[in-house]
Amino acid sequence: MDSAQAYVIVGGSAAGMAAAQAIRQRDPAAGITVLSEEADAPYFRPLIPYLVSGRKQAADMMLAGSGPYTGQNIQVWTDARVAAVDCNAQTVTLADGRQLGYGKILFATGSRPFLPPEIRGTDIEGVFALRTLDDARRMAKRAEVTRRAVMLGGGLLNLKAAFALLERGIRVTLVVFSPEVLSQLMDPDDALLIRRALDQAGLEIRTGSAAREIMRDQSGVCAVGLDDGSEIACQMVCIGKGVRPNVDFLAGSGVRTGGGIVADRFTACNQPNTFAAGDVAVTYEPVSGRPIMTALWTNAVEMGRCAGLNMAGVPTVYSGTFGILNATQVADMPFVAMGTVHTRNLDAEIHRHASADAYRKLVFDAEGRRLVGAVLVGDITNAGIYRYLIREKRDITAVKRQIVRHRLHYGHLLAI
Amino acid sequence: MTQPKEIFAITDRCVGCRTCTIACAVAHSASKTLFGAVAETPRPKSRIYVEWAPPAHKIPLVCRHCEDAPCMHACISGAIRRTDDGVVVTDADKCIGCWTCVMVCPYGMIGRDLERHKAYRCDRCPDRDIPACVAACPTGALVYQTVPAYAADVRRHASSEMVKGKGS
Repeated sequence: MDSAQAYVIVGGSAAGMAAAQAIRQRDPAAGITVLSEEADAPYFRPLIPYLVSGRKQAADMMLAGSGPYTGQNIQVWTDARVAAVDCNAQTVTLADGRQLGYGKILFATGSRPFLPPEIRGTDIEGVFALRTLDDARRMAKRAEVTRRAVMLGGGLLNLKAAFALLERGIRVTLVVFSPEVLSQLMDPDDALLIRRALDQAGLEIRTGSAAREIMRDQSGVCAVGLDDGSEIACQMVCIGKGVRPNVDFLAGSGVRTGGGIVADRFTACNQPNTFAAGDVAVTYEPVSGRPIMTALWTNAVEMGRCAGLNMAGVPTVYSGTFGILNATQVADMPFVAMGTVHTRNLDAEIHRHASADAYRKLVFDAEGRRLVGAVLVGDITNAGIYRYLIREKRDITAVKRQIVRHRLHYGHLLAI
Repeated sequence: MTQPKEIFAITDRCVGCRTCTIACAVAHSASKTLFGAVAETPRPKSRIYVEWAPPAHKIPLVCRHCEDAPCMHACISGAIRRTDDGVVVTDADKCIGCWTCVMVCPYGMIGRDLERHKAYRCDRCPDRDIPACVAACPTGALVYQTVPAYAADVRRHASSEMVKGKGS
């Protein structure tokens, strides 16, 4: 073994770096080593579409020194992919053969894009699944020779990538199998305003279609074949069909996995001195208590901080997270979706309000006493208060009128 | 780090005149004068809010610069940091207007500048000795104090009320 560190963190993105920061705040001296398989130093992953659009450079996205990430003396090894973990000897082995011992270890290996096996040709040059800074660089390069791009999947990441390409003057077609875009985040009826904004922004959207095959010529991608037999000529394809957790390196380690890595409420795994956080961890939803996995920066940071505290000897319960907790703005239309938002066949009290430029859906439990979910489109004022009410399962009877009319402010909570 | 001063609101004293909101907007304008500020585009924005809650509460609300600031940790672009004075600040250059901070602030204290597509919030007026809202409040409903000093004031006030109660 080459050396040993008090704390080893596998994965250098949101959860891993948040944990490193939390440990450093509690323990100014302990050795902390972060192992990242990427060639780049840790960066703000949600910003990579801006590299594609050209609005930001990689140097503007670096994590160290930005926001809360000011901890000193956190060693980051790049190009350091962990191949195996030995929980008895408390060592990790890297793909290049190096070994490192650990006192405590965090698995924060995140997730990777899911490439549906039923689509042929996903390995062709010009086919991307935007995940890393390096993907973004290659995509920006390919964009130089791209006149038309086809996006497969109507999720948020693909929408952001689509707008990055639109900004560069590329014609973009979004192919969505669901009846509407953003189907993971809201019901089709809730997405009408967003859909209209996307249409007006010049994004071509084909719902109810699936890609069967990606075709090539000598310069890479040349077309996508759809299930209705039609073809779209294009020079770039971007796949946004969800992600899968990176757990393969734990094979034979004894660390329990089930979908992702199974962590208890103190973010600990079943082996001694092992913890998990972020996209790779199976956590639970605070409203229903159901196990879930999410792939959100904000959630990963929160769980990573919690894991860091637990590792540094400050027992901290992870309070779980909503499966849906998204805020963003696409095509000048801001929106927030959080908690329980898919309400078809749901026993719930639902209040909808639509105007020309704003829409909201507020979901209460069947008794109408607790807020369980919210979709706000156009006007997202005070969304954080709704999140608080959902998460704390507060009895909202006294302020229900204000919630339904979207007039709620923190003063109401002080007065009840 | 020396104990930083914070802005406290004494809601009983607030009469809802909103002088604080005007003073805040002027302090964050380009001209720094009322007459200049009203003519500016984009319109200067207040970072303090006076809300009304039934039956007759007027409640001044301003960023708490939380010790464990949810906005800072949630920010997906590293735009929010804490200064050495304990003030949580948003770097407009880094802000991408994704509104994640709006979604996680349990007090609803982060504003959205739609013209610039940036989030904004109280910066405790770094260039002034006393924040503009506090200096402008005509009823003393806003207090700029350290936590220990403010707590001592509250204790002193409460004990004098108790003594008065005994005497009568």
